[in-house]
Amino acid sequence: MSQHPYPIQFEDVVQRFRVIQERHDTLREAFARFRQRRTTYHEFEAVKHVSFQISKGEVVGIIGRNGSGKSTILKLVAGVYAPTSGRVQVHGSIAPLIELGAGFHHELTGRENILLNGLLLGLSKRQVQEREARIIEFAELGEFIDSPIKQYSSGMYMRLAFSVATEVDPDILIVDEILSVGDGGFREKCLDRIRQFRNSGKTILMVSHDMTTMSTFCNRLLLIHHGQLLEEGDPARVVHRYGELLANPQAAMAY
Amino acid sequence: MISEFVRDIYRYRALIWALAQKELRVRYKRSILGFLWALLNPALMMLVLTLVFGTIMRFSIDHYAVFLLSMLLPWTFFSQSLAYSVESIVGNGELLKKVKVARLVFPVASVVSNIINFLLSLLPLMLLIVLMRFPLHWTWFYLPVPMLGLFLFTLGASFFFATVNVFYRDVSHIVQILLSAWFYFSPIIYSLDFVPAKYHWIFRLNPLLYVLNGFRLSIYYGLMPSLQSMVLSMACGLASLAGGFAIFRRYQNSFVYYV
Repeated sequence: MSQHPYPIQFEDVVQRFRVIQERHDTLREAFARFRQRRTTYHEFEAVKHVSFQISKGEVVGIIGRNGSGKSTILKLVAGVYAPTSGRVQVHGSIAPLIELGAGFHHELTGRENILLNGLLLGLSKRQVQEREARIIEFAELGEFIDSPIKQYSSGMYMRLAFSVATEVDPDILIVDEILSVGDGGFREKCLDRIRQFRNSGKTILMVSHDMTTMSTFCNRLLLIHHGQLLEEGDPARVVHRYGELLANPQAAMAY
Repeated sequence: MISEFVRDIYRYRALIWALAQKELRVRYKRSILGFLWALLNPALMMLVLTLVFGTIMRFSIDHYAVFLLSMLLPWTFFSQSLAYSVESIVGNGELLKKVKVARLVFPVASVVSNIINFLLSLLPLMLLIVLMRFPLHWTWFYLPVPMLGLFLFTLGASFFFATVNVFYRDVSHIVQILLSAWFYFSPIIYSLDFVPAKYHWIFRLNPLLYVLNGFRLSIYYGLMPSLQSMVLSMACGLASLAGGFAIFRRYQNSFVYYV
């Protein structure tokens, strides 16, 4: 396990995207664009000069409106995006829960998907095999484990995905808005699993719109608004600030 | 760079294998005969070709079916691999946006799944050769050499087309047309001897000629490929891989913004 005191560090991070206005997906359009020497995109800054660091063992939540840049920050941490400028440093292994079940294939059985997903998340084949029994048990799938997952209910699908991602046993767990799905019993089980992570001193970064969960669960919250870090610190205070932001019609207009 | 390629392949071998198995499973799932199709499909194709060229259209080439199949099977591998791998990055776009995963596993897995299919298709060919009382030449033992050239050449082309398709989706359509033109331009259904000698130099510009040549020599003519032929096939394979992988590596970090 990583012993770095700050597993996640952002230094003045900017993430800029090109937003294509007129799609020039085809050669013909690209050629026309080239001849006319015009650009058909504008740049959009999803994350604007954000700096923060997260200490080992901290549970940090990111809150903010839809489209404020929360998910982009998680993807920067997960290494899916490379920042346009600034520095993102991550020390330790990561299991992203960014949209559970990314990489699941509907025609494959639960068991086959466990292997594929485990390998995609960076485990070795042997590591997956060692954990398979525990993954199946936690997901409560019973004999369905050898059926193609297209026959699963959305709850079963979710349970399997959560089970695989957390059995990876990463140093850093990224949880993106997954606690809002699943029935009460399984949700409690997931929260238990995340608590275990917290108690074993692992670092957790989570995004949710459920302010009750966020303020009871996290040591610290970050409030992101229009790609900027507006406020950070004590959960109660940040949630209060977020409430003010939501209530303020001018802020709503600005969005 | 080639050493980096080899290292990555080794490092991600379990994932590549799992993805290749996934492609094969998905291809044959929901069919009653399942994996048997990997054998039956080429067998039935061969049966049709043998009937057509053995009884209906007679060519001056002895045992035309074997002549044809010795190059048609590796060609089918090549074209199928390209058809799959050209979509391999775009098709896994949603995954690339969510998990940090080595990009090269996707085109490589597409090629690997087709290698399995290709190797399986050699079994019905052997059977057909025996049934036709055509000699099963000892030079079959040399096949691993042209196979290596073919696999490297295909990997390189797959990297190239998978990359370009991310930026210009037209490519997946262009590949289909390119492949059918390339098919007739390569001496697969005919022999280069049928072409007037003054045009041979044009055909010799086609790298696939060298890559496929060893298969026909070993399977049909029972000749051991000359050293020159083996070197040319390997050189085409390595050049293709080096070029294709260089382009793939150059652009792989921007894939996530375009898929």
